[in-house]
Amino acid sequence: MHKKNRQKILIVDDSTMNREILIDMLHDEFDIIEALDGLQAIKTIKDYNTSIDLMLLDIIMPEADGFEVLAVMNENHIINDIPVIMISAENDDSCIERAYEMGVTDYISRPFNVSVVRRRVTNALALHAKHKKLLGIITEQVYEKEKNNSMMINILSHIVESRNGESGMHTLNIFSITNVLLRKLVEKTDKYKLTSKDMSLITVASSLHDIGKIGIPSAILNKPARLTAEEFSIMKTHTTIGSSLLEEMAVYRNEPLVKVAREICRWHHERYDGKGYPDGLKGENIPISAQVVSVADVYDALTSERCYKKAFSHEQALNMITNGECGQFSPLLMECLIESHADIIKELQAHSNEKIQENQLKNIIDELIQYDENDNIINPLIQIEKDREKLRFFTMKSEELQFDYDCRTSVVIISEWGAKLIGSRRTVLNLGGNDKCILGSKHIQEFASVLKTLTPENPETENHIIFDTINGKMCGKITARTLWENNNSRYTGVIGKISGLTKIEM
Amino acid sequence: MTLQECYSIIGNYNEVMKRLPRETMVIKFIMKFLDDKSYENLMTAIENSDYQSAFMAAHTIKGVCQNLSFTRLYESSHLITEALRNENPDISLISELAGKVREDYEITVNTIKTFRDEQ
Repeated sequence: MHKKNRQKILIVDDSTMNREILIDMLHDEFDIIEALDGLQAIKTIKDYNTSIDLMLLDIIMPEADGFEVLAVMNENHIINDIPVIMISAENDDSCIERAYEMGVTDYISRPFNVSVVRRRVTNALALHAKHKKLLGIITEQVYEKEKNNSMMINILSHIVESRNGESGMHTLNIFSITNVLLRKLVEKTDKYKLTSKDMSLITVASSLHDIGKIGIPSAILNKPARLTAEEFSIMKTHTTIGSSLLEEMAVYRNEPLVKVAREICRWHHERYDGKGYPDGLKGENIPISAQVVSVADVYDALTSERCYKKAFSHEQALNMITNGECGQFSPLLMECLIESHADIIKELQAHSNEKIQENQLKNIIDELIQYDENDNIINPLIQIEKDREKLRFFTMKSEELQFDYDCRTSVVIISEWGAKLIGSRRTVLNLGGNDKCILGSKHIQEFASVLKTLTPENPETENHIIFDTINGKMCGKITARTLWENNNSRYTGVIGKISGLTKIEM
Repeated sequence: MTLQECYSIIGNYNEVMKRLPRETMVIKFIMKFLDDKSYENLMTAIENSDYQSAFMAAHTIKGVCQNLSFTRLYESSHLITEALRNENPDISLISELAGKVREDYEITVNTIKTFRDEQ
């Protein structure tokens, strides 16, 4: 007997006769566990957990009846993990209806035909297996996508903040603080009617809050001294520049992510008392997305070192913000900040990509759980769409060559702007040899050997590089990160960018 | 006595053969019915005026009768199940229906025993 591979069926019925009839027709194919009443059934489910593949459940039983068992299974969400077939002599419609409403997969009325029961059991198991497999595929896809998502955010942080001389952590920190604040906010109030999808959008869009700084002269951005009134008025325009950049996007400007990002770009320097800029919006006229990001922005600015100031401690930052020294915020958000302060510190200290992924993944998994089956499948598609939107935006606005190499397919994908600059196709087979292709260049080969020394613990490298292109010799700074799968045991590819691309005149 | 003859007294042979795949399986289960305690449980519960337990026992008998096509006993066990479903059952009705169940149960059990002894 291959006991291990056999599926387990829990039969719950107070009548020995009834159980035996069922066992007789199922024990050849399945391992059988018996429970004599509802209470035993609940205990058995807890003991075996989800290793039970299917449950046959009677309704009328002593201790707890079938519906009570279903209620417990619903409470613990086990009903999604173990398919239940109800078997009962209760044949009135309201009873059957109620069973289906409580999540049973099938309802078999007594008296039953033995071979029909066997088929229904097999069908229920097959259906559930398929469901589990699909959910597995989706979870994997979502995870994959989230991984790319957080890498894109990472790349963006570098793009926006490299001009500022900042570390790139600012965007990541705002991302985390926004996430924590939003969770606290929905816990305290439902007045903003934020769904987990909205929260996810705001959190992702928070990364774009300072994109307008791309239009501010670096002499102003990086000035170590206090800005003059004129300089400050230029600095302020990063809000309107950011939102115009997004408004000008031909294709995606009506997408939810872009709309939220526009709110955040334009209004993350507004003040609750109406004395902020650029529009002097007051109170709840400031969208909640911008309000939350604004708090996150100020908090992180205070606790980070800048060219013009030292870092304040978390406690100092909290006091300064709540005392109104750094702007005016909604009293409710101040409560959120105070109540979630410990969480924020924890998040910032444990900061890593993985952490962000987990948080984002949690939002999405929450959604998966709440949604019905169809939505389970639609949701990742929406997310992928959002991803594309974001990717396109980043690649368009950054003057960098971004690349993504997958070693399983040996394909390198190069960003549109970068491909045009070096006169290459966007998709290149990494076969070397072709000296017209950047990947065949001697320096790139050398760089590849540097990549081989990288490990999951130390996955990044940065180098100056010279390479040949159709448009001549070029140089730039290459930053790359190796990707790993299967608990970091398998190397799967490289992503990265080449910045400061310049043609070398010969 | 054949199984078919046995069923002509206690229930519906064609029906049970549609539900269970083989005669041997039918025989196995009607033999088990002789050891089933639901009938005793029903009668004890009624004697003790424990109508909730009586309801469950009657319900079990009804279910078994359905699966094994014991048409005769099904009728009376069905009637008493419905009478007991009521939270304040009509006691004289219950005792009347219990009498009918006893009668049908004895016919059913005795017929199965005769069938068994002739095997």
